Order: sequence, then structure tokens, then C-alpha cells
Amino acid sequence: MEYKVEAHRIMSISLGKIYNSRVQRGGIKLHKNLLVSLVLRSARQVYLSDYYSGACLNAQSEREGNEWDITDSEREKFPPSATECDRVESTEEPQPNEQPEKEREYRENDDEVKSDQVDCTSTLQEQNQNSSLDSVAKVSSETPPESITEPKESPSDSAVAERDSTPEANGESHQPPKPYVCSNRKRSAEESESGDSPQKRTKVASSNAKEDEEAEEMDTSNVSNLITIFGSSFSGLLSKESAKPEAEAEDSGQICCDQMLKNLNPWSTAIVAF
Amino acid sequence: ERYKIDFLVYIKALLCSVAADIISTVEFNSTGELLATGDKGGRVVVFQREQESKNQPHRRGEYNVYSTFQSHEPEFDYLKSLEIEEKINKIRWLPQQNAAYFLLSTNDKTVKLWKISERDKRPEGYNLKDEDGRIRDPTTITALRVPVLRPMDLMVEATPRRVFSNAHTYHINSISVNSDYETFMSTDDLRINLWNLEITNRSFNIVDIKPVNMEELTEVITAAEFHPYQCNTFVYSSSKGSIRLCDMRASALCDNHSKFFEEPEDPSNRSFFSEIISSISDVKFSHSGRYLMTRDYLTVKVWDLNMESKPLETYQVHDYLRSKLCSLYENDCIFDKFECVWNGSDSVIMTGSYNNFFRMFDRNTKRDVTLEASRENSKPRAILKPRKVCVGGKRRKDEISVDSLDFSKKILHTAWHPSENIIAVAATNNLYIFQDKVN
Repeated sequence: MEYKVEAHRIMSISLGKIYNSRVQRGGIKLHKNLLVSLVLRSARQVYLSDYYSGACLNAQSEREGNEWDITDSEREKFPPSATECDRVESTEEPQPNEQPEKEREYRENDDEVKSDQVDCTSTLQEQNQNSSLDSVAKVSSETPPESITEPKESPSDSAVAERDSTPEANGESHQPPKPYVCSNRKRSAEESESGDSPQKRTKVASSNAKEDEEAEEMDTSNVSNLITIFGSSFSGLLSKESAKPEAEAEDSGQICCDQMLKNLNPWSTAIVAF
Repeated sequence: ERYKIDFLVYIKALLCSVAADIISTVEFNSTGELLATGDKGGRVVVFQREQESKNQPHRRGEYNVYSTFQSHEPEFDYLKSLEIEEKINKIRWLPQQNAAYFLLSTNDKTVKLWKISERDKRPEGYNLKDEDGRIRDPTTITALRVPVLRPMDLMVEATPRRVFSNAHTYHINSISVNSDYETFMSTDDLRINLWNLEITNRSFNIVDIKPVNMEELTEVITAAEFHPYQCNTFVYSSSKGSIRLCDMRASALCDNHSKFFEEPEDPSNRSFFSEIISSISDVKFSHSGRYLMTRDYLTVKVWDLNMESKPLETYQVHDYLRSKLCSLYENDCIFDKFECVWNGSDSVIMTGSYNNFFRMFDRNTKRDVTLEASRENSKPRAILKPRKVCVGGKRRKDEISVDSLDFSKKILHTAWHPSENIIAVAATNNLYIFQDKVN
């Protein structure tokens, strides 16, 4: 997917900047590195969530067939409801109240939301890819009732949100901002419209049920933590990339990433000491 | 085709000066008589405005080099194995109190107070030493004389009077002199320190946003400034696009703000780079003290101190770059820190852009102009022609398309004379001074 290419490119560029900052005259510039790490984090989330969603969708459609048609079309209409990973599944709380909070959290790079998303996808990649996809598909098949009912619970809200282009209008329409935020990021990176992101979002949510325990173990999402994640899972990302046609990008990306892996941990130590 | 703007009918190029190194800061003193520039090599060059002379009326008010000195040298922090750049980040003048001029200049770690004074006489006729300075043999002295002061060629000396060091762990981005003329503050990424101009071995920390766990860092301080006449009030801006106004009377540590200025983000403009472009690169009080101006990557905003929820005015500097943020991220341009300035009456604001363009916005008429600082377009006494960037569709003659812009030619630093329509524009290593046309 084009989103992934763009997100991966931005990640490589960001890592390169972080690496170069270590050898720059005058020492590490805290401000610039903070901004770069924010971009890196955003790109990584888009990259991982997209990839994961796409893979799950393919695996599922093979198995479930027609059963998912309704769900898919509903998801297109009601993207927000299944965006939240574990919360949406675990609790049936009223959506409007949750969403503004999450929106704020999401924007403020809060720990739980982002690390949850990041965690579930990163730990997933550490596993064997095939088996992980299978297990995800199974989890997804187990949770369809929830996924379907949630959109139905608040069709009016989401429908309003869908039509309403300014999500901040009222409390009810607070559902869309989160996915709109995500999808807008992809769009702006892509500079094109795409309507299939909501479906992928749902898949991410449904698979997170089993990742809950692991999510809580992760630290607050932050610069050095991100690097730790990268240190362990980046090789996983790279191996997936080998199937992609853009060999040059991955080669330089791989070299870049290998260099990163060696330098990331010392850098994270440096920034803490800094 | 030229068009007139009410506030500045014509602009005339007065002086082009080439610096050896990239200019990193420009500042007029409080009367506008002096203009200081700092560069990447740690040098400060001070220009002085010529007195008006009846003999040469056409040379009214030109700026000539007055003093040049090396303010900062490269240093090495052995403990952290880091080189400390000598680049001058900011210069701020002190108000003039006697015949000498004082300015503060800072690099990443150390602030220095420099005294610039003139010497046009020297004593002659010492008893104990001869004119060369060699000690005379006392036995050869047969008569005493009183030394007298004789005129000499004017010499401008710069001497470091104070060195304020070892107070900042992070890189200093701002200094600001208080209106009490006794104190000043220095600001780095996470802390703001208050100094007394006379005391160099002590400073007070007044803002500290460093989290206990550095891994939880989400925001840094990007700029800070004292209120122009309320000596207890200052503001600081953050990388998240917010401004905090603090009152030093409230408590010793001003971590809690009195006012918090932030505009809610427009979700339709969200992108990977939203956080970067909302980071504020400069904050300036208006001369009146009633307004604040902030600069982020794409806009300049004017805030009313009495309204925290949103800015009073927002001006688009170069919105055509919004679709190019990814490329600008790649080539690091998105991290450029543009400054912004008020004119003397707070009616016009100015800021720089790329391709050696700089922009002026008239707050009253809502008109704006784009001008270029370049050798080809600004011969001395020439009149500047407004420029236009073509954003799409047919490009008219004299317009420049977005893709033709030279992003290596950036105007980050500008200054406006405190009372007259004279502006100084730093374009990489060239300094341009423009003035209203005089009939």
C-alpha cells in the first residue's frame, strides 16, 4: 500500500536525522530531536496499523466470505466505533464520552492509547508472521459480534459524524475525530483520498483483545521507549519489506536501520543523561 | 507592476554588507542609532548610523561599521565530550545610560555583557615612561610634567564586562533584558534563569519544565521575552504551539502560568508534520505591551493579552508550502526558525521566508507585500519591487512558481528600527538595510 511506503520512507528519514544529530557539531539538539521523534512515532503507527489491517483483512476474507459483507459496509459507514483497540472491545461505554478524551490523549501522545496500538502491533511482529496472522484471524472471528453491535449501537452518532465534516461540532460527533485524524494523516502523506482505511482500523481493534496484557507491560510511549521498540521489532519490519518491489529503498533503509540498531540504545541512554 | 502600500510607499536599498559568516541574529538598539549583527563564527559587527549632514544630504542616515569583535569562541565540554558552538544565537541591547553602549550576546551556553566605548583622546607626557611605553630610568628624570590628553584617531573598543556561564544544561535560545534595567533572563529548552546584570556567579531559576523522567518529555521552550514595561511579567512559547504568560510576583518558581494562549488545532489540517509546524519559533511583545506576536512555520499570529482562546489575527506567510511539508522535512527546512518583528507603532509586522523573500503585513489595512533581498534587485538607491509567488495555474510574468523557490536562501532574522521605517534583513551572509524613500 502506498501509505506504507510513505510512512516507511518518513521513518527511515527520521531515523537518519536522529543518527546524524549525534555527530553534529554542538551536540544533540533537544528540540529538533523531539520533533523528529514525534514524526517517527506517527509514521510508525500509520505504517504498522495499515500493514497489520491489510494483512488481516486478506486473511479474513478468505475464511469468512459473505458473513463479513455487512460488517464491512457498516464499518465503512461507522469507522470510529472500532478504532479504539482494547477499550472498545472490553467496555461498552458510551462512545461520545470516550472519544474526546481519546482524541486529546491521542494528540498529546498519551501513554495508553498510543502504546497500546503500538504494542499490539509490535509484539505481533515479533512472532512468526504466518502464525500471527492466523491467530489474529481467529481472534477476529471470535469478536465479530462486538464489532458488529458497536456500530449498530450508535448509528446515528456515527452517521452524523460521517456527514459532518467538522467533527468538533458537538459531543455526538466526537466519534470521528480519531479515525479522521488517522486517515487524514495518511491522506496528507498520500495526497490522495482513500476510503478503505476504516475497514483496516476495525481489524486492528479486534485483534487487540489478546494483546491487552502485553500492552500494559510496556512503558509510557516516549522517545527512548520508541527506540527500544524499534530495536526489537525493526528487523521484523524489514523482513516483511523484502516482498516489496522497492528494493533500493529497503536496501538503504536496511543499512540505515542496521546502523540505527547499533546506535539507538546508546542514544536513548544519552538523551536520558542529557 | 508596482503598487503602493500606505505604510511604506517606497523602499530604498541603502547598504549591502557582506559578512564572513552566516548572520545568526540582527538587532537595533533602543534609539536605532546602532545595529548589531552576530554570526555563526561568534563575531559581532555593530553598525552606526551616520549623523545627518547638510553637506551631504543624500547620505542621510546610512549605516557604517562601527565596531567588530569576537564575542564567543568555540569551546569543548570535556565532561560530555561535546563541542559548544560559538554561533551567536541572540543579541540584546541594554538601554543607554552613559556614553558607552552595552549589549548582551549569547551562544548555546554562555551569555556575555559587552561594553562598546569610544576613545578619541590619549594621555601624553608621562614622567616615568616614555612615549613608547618603556620605563624611564628614574635617575635621568630632572623635571616633572603633568600629562595632558591629546586627540587621537577615533578608536572603538569592545570589552567583555561580565560573563554569565554554567547555568544552562541545554541550548540557550533567548535572552531578554528586563525593563527594570537590573535583570535579564536567559532561556534554554527546558529552563529559564533570571540574572542580575551585576552578578555573574548566581542566577535564579524561574521556569523549569524538565520532567522527572526525561523519557516523558513532550514539550520544550522555544523562546521567551519580558514585557516591555511590566518588569514582573514575561512570556515563553513552546514547541507545542502554546504561549504562557507568567507573573514573577506570584511565586519564585513560575511553573504555573497566569495565562495560557493556545489555538485549538484544526483537525482538517492534520498531517505527520502537524506538531512540527505548530512549534513556535519566535515570540515578541508589541511596543505597547498590549499584544503578542508569535511565528510558527507557516503563519504569524497576533494575540491580545486579554484573550487566551485564540489569536486576534493570523497571517499566512507562505501557505503554499503546506503541501510540500514532506520534502521540507527531508531537507530539514521544516525546522527553520523564523523570527518576526513589529514596527515602531505596532501597525506593521514583518517576517522572513524562502528565496530571500520577506513579508510585511499591515494590521490596519490588512494589506501585505512580499519583497526580496538580493543583490540583483537592490542596487543602492533602487526601489524594491513587490514579488509574487504563483501557486498554481498560469504563471504571470515576474511571478515565481513554488517549485522554483530557492530553499537555501532563507531570511530568518530581520529587525525594524524602533521609530523609523528602516529595516535590516539578514540573508545568509549578507545584510541588507532598507529605508523609506526620502524626497
